[in-house]
Amino acid sequence: MKKSHIVLLVLVAAAVTVIVSMFGDFSTYETFASASQEQGKKYHVIGELVKDKEMNYDPVKDPNHFSFYVQDKSGNVNHVVFKGAKPTDIEKSEQIVMTGYMEGETFQCSKIQMKCPSKYKNDQIAVANQG
Amino acid sequence: MDTQFVGEHLGPGQLGHFFVITSFVAALFSAFAYYRAASTEKLNAGGSAAWLQLGRNGFVVHAITVMGIFITLYYIITNHLFEYHYAWRHSDLSLSPKYLLSCFWEGQEGSFLLWSIWHCVLGLIVMFTSKGLESRVMTIISIVQVALATMLLGYYFGADINMGSSPFILLRDKMLAAPIFQQPNYMEFVNDGNGLNILLQNYWMVIHPPVLFLGFSATLIPFAYTLAALWKGEYKEWIKPTWIWSLFAGAVLGTGIMMGGAWAYESLTFGGYWAWDPVENASLVPWLTLIAGLHTLIIYKVTGRSFIATVVLFVVTYGLIWYSTFLTRTGVLGDTSVHSFTGEGQSLYWHLLIVIGVLLAIAIALMVRRWKDMPRVKTEEEVNSREFWMFIGSIILFLSAIQIIISTSIPVWAPLAKLITGKEIAPPVDPIQHYNGIQVWVAIVVSLLSASVLYLKFKKSDNKTFWKRMAITGLLGLGLALIIGFTQNITTPQYVVLLFTASFSVIANSYYAISVQKVKLKKLGAATSHLGFGLILLGILLSSYNKEVISLNTSGVVIPFTDDKMENVRQSMENVILYKNIPIPMGEYTVTYKGDSIPEHDPRTFYEVQYDIVDTATGNVTESFTLHPNAFVNPKGQQGGMSANPDSKHYVSRDIFTYVTSVIDPAKKTDTGAYKKHVVKIGDTFFVNRGYVVFDAFDTRLDDPRYEAKDGDIAVAARLTLRDLDGNENKLAPIYYIREGMENTVEDTVADRKLYVRLSKIVPDENAAELMVKQAGDDADYIVMKALLFPYINVLWLGIIVMVIGFFIAMVNRITKKEKVAKALNINDIT
Repeated sequence: MKKSHIVLLVLVAAAVTVIVSMFGDFSTYETFASASQEQGKKYHVIGELVKDKEMNYDPVKDPNHFSFYVQDKSGNVNHVVFKGAKPTDIEKSEQIVMTGYMEGETFQCSKIQMKCPSKYKNDQIAVANQG
Repeated sequence: MDTQFVGEHLGPGQLGHFFVITSFVAALFSAFAYYRAASTEKLNAGGSAAWLQLGRNGFVVHAITVMGIFITLYYIITNHLFEYHYAWRHSDLSLSPKYLLSCFWEGQEGSFLLWSIWHCVLGLIVMFTSKGLESRVMTIISIVQVALATMLLGYYFGADINMGSSPFILLRDKMLAAPIFQQPNYMEFVNDGNGLNILLQNYWMVIHPPVLFLGFSATLIPFAYTLAALWKGEYKEWIKPTWIWSLFAGAVLGTGIMMGGAWAYESLTFGGYWAWDPVENASLVPWLTLIAGLHTLIIYKVTGRSFIATVVLFVVTYGLIWYSTFLTRTGVLGDTSVHSFTGEGQSLYWHLLIVIGVLLAIAIALMVRRWKDMPRVKTEEEVNSREFWMFIGSIILFLSAIQIIISTSIPVWAPLAKLITGKEIAPPVDPIQHYNGIQVWVAIVVSLLSASVLYLKFKKSDNKTFWKRMAITGLLGLGLALIIGFTQNITTPQYVVLLFTASFSVIANSYYAISVQKVKLKKLGAATSHLGFGLILLGILLSSYNKEVISLNTSGVVIPFTDDKMENVRQSMENVILYKNIPIPMGEYTVTYKGDSIPEHDPRTFYEVQYDIVDTATGNVTESFTLHPNAFVNPKGQQGGMSANPDSKHYVSRDIFTYVTSVIDPAKKTDTGAYKKHVVKIGDTFFVNRGYVVFDAFDTRLDDPRYEAKDGDIAVAARLTLRDLDGNENKLAPIYYIREGMENTVEDTVADRKLYVRLSKIVPDENAAELMVKQAGDDADYIVMKALLFPYINVLWLGIIVMVIGFFIAMVNRITKKEKVAKALNINDIT
């Protein structure tokens, strides 16, 4: 066997080990209920903003505190606190992916990703209005 | 529909459609003719030459029609013909002319068109330079052009399945359901377009996509040459052009990727130039495999080894280019990317998969056919040879690419994993940590190799000279690393190691260029690009290790931190509210928001933020500058929203990076601020913005000119002291009185602090006062912002420029070098 082949095998083995071990790093999508089973552990939760419940961001009081309510995929509505400025177009989001953990009854979230309706749908209305 | 529509301009669309069809047919014809030319080469030289000529003609016609599509679409966009869906969706009347080109890369059709144009340009160059391989290389290029042309066809099979989408489709055909299009005069109502995504209205977005797409397109050429070589069964002729083109592709794609980083840094607000976002990874991964392929190609050229690895790497690289389009354009990434590409439908999904499948099938078929006669070397290479370590470096780059693409593709394979494990796998909670944790080791090994490999000679090296030079440069590198490490306070073990290997790489390659290559410019390609690579790693390490958020919120209400993790504490303080004209300390700066302005002919609002460095001893301002972070407030199509662009102060040694995260609703600026209630006992304090108030005592002896005592009044004042962060004291005495059974109050204010206090009630039992406090007055204007400090980010930008220059030096050297002379002289001259 050539030396380069041995090195190659060693490298591939190392890479496989790294790749297998990195699966432990991957997160899972959970609901509020399943995330609260393990308090303090960070998960991803997908849900929708509950628009008729209060949304609270008062930068005068605390510019790093935004609280709102989200309905997760199983239909549970939960209080969410985001430690940051209010994302600017959250009202129009169709779906929110949050990264965070449950603390008591509150979901403490450190990252918000929003899926907004494509511009396309908005514009149908815009055109109709103009007409 | 028999409605006769008025006010439409159908001519350009029909012309454009004609170009689309012709370009498709021409590409098909060109591919077929070139294929016939290649396959009749040996049997019938005359016929082959005729086919070759036809193939060329076909490709030229194809290139002309692709340009025709571009010009027609450009005409439609510049003339604001909003009856065309593309113009309506991606532009509007207010769009500044410099961004008109950006409309091309906002949409899927425009992107494929841009890609196709670059392929045409490169294809024409290849046509004139590829000599004996022309028919085969051009067959491959034409086949890819056929695939790209189908993306623009817009041919519908029934209602839901389409092949490609045409940039010339009419608005009314795209939105059949909308009732407005029943009216023949609908054009009277469609007065303006939807506008370009505001994120693309940035100068980086004018130059970044064309460069990136040129990089994507350039990877086609090494791929096509590789397949051509396999097809012909001739493995020498392809080396030189493939080498040159892969250097070109490496330089341009590398530039394109980092321009994307610069765009993210300058105009996005995730606070950095690289976030391991799927869209970024998708273009980085083919670059890594391309660089690996470039190195194995050099090994093959000099020693005859690594042929198979080279073929595999160039094929994989081009496959990954299409796969990256698949990831970013089909919406398969969905929730995992911050880049807001939306899904363009199932049809594109399958269309791209079929294209990738066909390209890979051609490549694999050729490899299988040639497997037996592929060049191989039976003997074993020396451990102290350059090729041995170059090969290892290439493999590590390839494995690194595999790791990145597996993690990036989570949304692609997660449905499969769900079937097996039942769990819905999500990307890592902290992607930056995930990738950095693994890739730091790759960076360490690769920078070590990039530092030392040039000192090794092909075939066999002189150990003594090698180790002597390693010792000298290693010690110098260690010295540099120690200086940086101590001054920058870098302590995490793996980053300390990276600091050393990157410093070593910088020193070793500079030393190599000066004392071994004697600064002969033509030979400096490899040393220069390795030096650039070392600087890039150093720049990344310095700027991100000590990246600092200086806008920590120290005013306002302190929230109780239930989580004791420092990261969470810091994170929850990163936004700071700045009231107009009230200075706030941030790091060594005193920062003041001076107001906003909306320039004419610019849809953005600019916020003036002044940074001062004040000498604490003398109180003098020693340095002062103003940043203008800006934002689109209420941009079109997203009312109520805001899209912010950062502004940075660039020093040689660091950047101060500032952006606005929230502003006061302009409509609320004139609104009266809300009073907040504080119930306090004597001696209590409460916090206000930039200070606190102490409730000293009740006082019934009143001598306030605003209050005239009358018989029967019950009156009391609350004596308050405001202490602000600068150590100033202000006294307040709001008054509460009962006159004829009615409660009255006299408010007191500290005008320059915009503090209003009203004594609204006395709670006699508890000896407490109920105070209504308004912290800012009617003209309260504030912004919420974040400020970050990136040290030595210029090292990163410098590194990229140096690396790209290195690629181009090597490329020019390859082009001008006389092959045979080089071989006769010294095989170790390869740079």
